[in-house]
Amino acid sequence: MGEVAVLGIGMHPWGKFPEKNLNSICRVAVDAALADAGVSWKEVGAVAAASSRFSGGKGWGLNGNDIVEDMGSTGLPVYNLSAGCAAGSNAFNVGHMMVASGAHDVVLVVGGEKMPKGFIQTSGLEDETDPEYLRQRCVGLPGPGFWALLTRQRMEEFGTSHEDLAAVAVKAHKVGTHNENARFRQLFSLEDILNSNMVSDPLRLYEICPVSDGAAAVVLCSEEYARKKASNPVWAASSAVATARFDDGLPRGLGCVPSPWRTHHSEARISVAKALEGAGIGPKDLDLVELQDNTVYYELAFPEEWGMCEPGESESLLHQGETLPNGSMPINPSGGFLCFGEATTAQGLFQICEVAWQLRGEAGERQVPGAKIGMAQSIGLGGNGTATVLKR
Amino acid sequence: MTDSSPVHAAKDLFVETSDGPRLLGSRCDTCKAPYFPSSEACHNPDCDHSDIQPAHFGPHGTLWSVTVQNYPPPPPVVAPEPYSPYAVGLVDLETDGLRVIGRLHVEDPTSVKVGGPVELILAPLGSGQDGHEVISWQFEPR
Repeated sequence: MGEVAVLGIGMHPWGKFPEKNLNSICRVAVDAALADAGVSWKEVGAVAAASSRFSGGKGWGLNGNDIVEDMGSTGLPVYNLSAGCAAGSNAFNVGHMMVASGAHDVVLVVGGEKMPKGFIQTSGLEDETDPEYLRQRCVGLPGPGFWALLTRQRMEEFGTSHEDLAAVAVKAHKVGTHNENARFRQLFSLEDILNSNMVSDPLRLYEICPVSDGAAAVVLCSEEYARKKASNPVWAASSAVATARFDDGLPRGLGCVPSPWRTHHSEARISVAKALEGAGIGPKDLDLVELQDNTVYYELAFPEEWGMCEPGESESLLHQGETLPNGSMPINPSGGFLCFGEATTAQGLFQICEVAWQLRGEAGERQVPGAKIGMAQSIGLGGNGTATVLKR
Repeated sequence: MTDSSPVHAAKDLFVETSDGPRLLGSRCDTCKAPYFPSSEACHNPDCDHSDIQPAHFGPHGTLWSVTVQNYPPPPPVVAPEPYSPYAVGLVDLETDGLRVIGRLHVEDPTSVKVGGPVELILAPLGSGQDGHEVISWQFEPR
């Protein structure tokens, strides 16, 4: 397998853009990534795109075809990848394989989304064979309630306080305020967070990410191609995809088998372990991580589940400033989902763009000093997990 | 007069027996993995022979975690009218080897303690959009 370079990255800022259509949002990201790579559209050999559930794609998740038609139909192959909220990074994995295998020299990976208003209806099906439908109809547990159950269990196990949870959101905005692509850039005090409405106890409004519109794109290329175009590109050290284990104890429907594991999201644990192994490093060797913080809970739980720190240690690392860009374990220097909001299928690619910017030293006020290797991690409906390690 | 006679939230998920309410599920006779709702085949990758048999689960469990739903979620969620926050628990039915979610039947949803014993009951969640009272399984702290 050949080396794969992340030659170009581009993003349309995250926000709400009722006046724009999805194609125009995606085009901004794609044009930026192509320009950043110094690659023309006609040089792109294949497209790997995230399939959206909420917008575009001709109702079939054909979002890659929309982009190809918009950019100019050259007859190139298109792969539309669906993995719930992990679709963007799942598409990255397929793009990575296409370049690593030698099938294509240059591949464009793209994800874009315009989200409907309000809470995400996870499946939207009214079907008694659909576990998500049954969970809402028979119990009434929307997404934030699911996260709240995990959060409350952590509070019982480790004594995590409401102030600890709020401090994660304060820290997210402290770094996100420096990110011109983030939607929520204002600073919040601990009191601001603690005074926001309780949504699903113990989680408050400002501790949960809302939905956003946005798009991100990445140009991948072979080592030979990269040497012609860039003197010192960012490289994909590894790209991994996993699905959840049968016995991880996380009830994705109504019930499950209780787990022998301390980790709950096995799809995240497995994909991260595979990505670290593929990169030949351990969890403490990462200079920064962009992880999926749909809610503050994940920023506390995930680093422990992946061996970046000890179980129950995250709160003290947070309060000591170790998860800030200049700390010993930088997490989400972009500001994360809390500052971006969730444009579901585009999320995995905004994370990869951020890691690449960090490794190039182009992250400005939120720069992790001397960052050489970083990871992006996503999970999505259906028990999908992805992890990507980039290095320079 | 509108018909407000009670309906079940879903078919074939719970039953009232002479010993009290039970969840309706299944269990693989080979590896003993429990399924709720019932499954047609065993999904345990370490089980080499799927042998699914009907099973009843409950009524005794322990509360693994709890949340209070502070705002009214959209349909198909059925909630009290006018809306009042309700608690949802994740319950370990230790005897059955099953972890299951359910609404908690409790006067003060903020009073529920994680780690405490709970018991399965059948009770109304509220009224559905068609005016029928909707019955589902719930857990009552003991």
